[in-house]
Amino acid sequence: MTAIAAFATALFLLGAPGKVESIKATDLDGKPVEVQTSGKVTAVIFISTQCPISNDYNERMKALYNEFSPRGVQFVFLNANSTESSADAAAHARKNGFPFHVLKDANNVEADRFGAEFTPHVFVIGENSEVIYRGAIDDSRPADKVTKTYLKDVLGAALAGKPLPVTETKAFGCTIKRVKKST
Amino acid sequence: MKQLLPVLLALAAGLASAANLKPIDESGYSRLVASSRGKVLVVNFWATWCAPCRKEMPDLVALVGKYRAKGLEFVTVAIDEERDRKAVAEFLDRTKAPPPTFIKNFKSDEKFISQVDPRWSGGLPFTVVYDRAGRKAHVFPGEVNLKQLEAVLKKLL
Repeated sequence: MTAIAAFATALFLLGAPGKVESIKATDLDGKPVEVQTSGKVTAVIFISTQCPISNDYNERMKALYNEFSPRGVQFVFLNANSTESSADAAAHARKNGFPFHVLKDANNVEADRFGAEFTPHVFVIGENSEVIYRGAIDDSRPADKVTKTYLKDVLGAALAGKPLPVTETKAFGCTIKRVKKST
Repeated sequence: MKQLLPVLLALAAGLASAANLKPIDESGYSRLVASSRGKVLVVNFWATWCAPCRKEMPDLVALVGKYRAKGLEFVTVAIDEERDRKAVAEFLDRTKAPPPTFIKNFKSDEKFISQVDPRWSGGLPFTVVYDRAGRKAHVFPGEVNLKQLEAVLKKLL
């Protein structure tokens, strides 16, 4: 198998699942949390405490949460970085005044299932539990240069039952620091 | 004056490398790959905000340095904003990364990512090896496995 084919295979295996009935993680006190997705539009966002790109989106994530949470969108913010502890994530959330809870994806189980690769990496799950969007929050790290508000547009369309303007986008980001697994 | 000399020299070196750091866009990247035909080309996409990128750069520079005389060209593309140009240049200086060095000036990050490799999500670091015909021979998503890279280079050179 060529290296490129191996890469493609790895990405295929890491590819976003078609259907996600529930998301399992732990709160930042270590208690298990299970989020059901059926009947709701759910935005899953993998974030980081240290990644400057992820941190540049903190205010935009807060704004999206404040806009769409009252309209019925369920947000799941996951920290899957093995290099960032639950205590780190809690301190980071306090420091940045997050209005939402952050959950810990220990051993990057959900990151692997979704095929999340970087932070911030977004997955939107429709009311039928199908993943309907994967990619970026918008098209620019500097907030003043944003021309396409991907996540906002996808959430708006999903809530309205309209066709999605986009289903997959790409962006530069910090790779998720996964646990080293023995083979 | 004697005390100032090292400072002035360092400043001059920083300015020189900052000047060598060229913006690159989508068409510039295509031209770069085309103009490198006849050589094996290694392109490393990195950023000052990317810890694994910073960690691997000195090892990459050392490895490619061993093969430059055999026809290897090593190019770095910084995925930093223009406002971070100084930090990029300082890091490249410190790690002795050889020119040509570039900083992103893409019209669309998303389109550029797909142009380099349709399977690339945009996570950094990312390294691509092109053979002497300008064909993509190998990609390293994430940190480069140096042994694997060296094996690829030996085969292509």
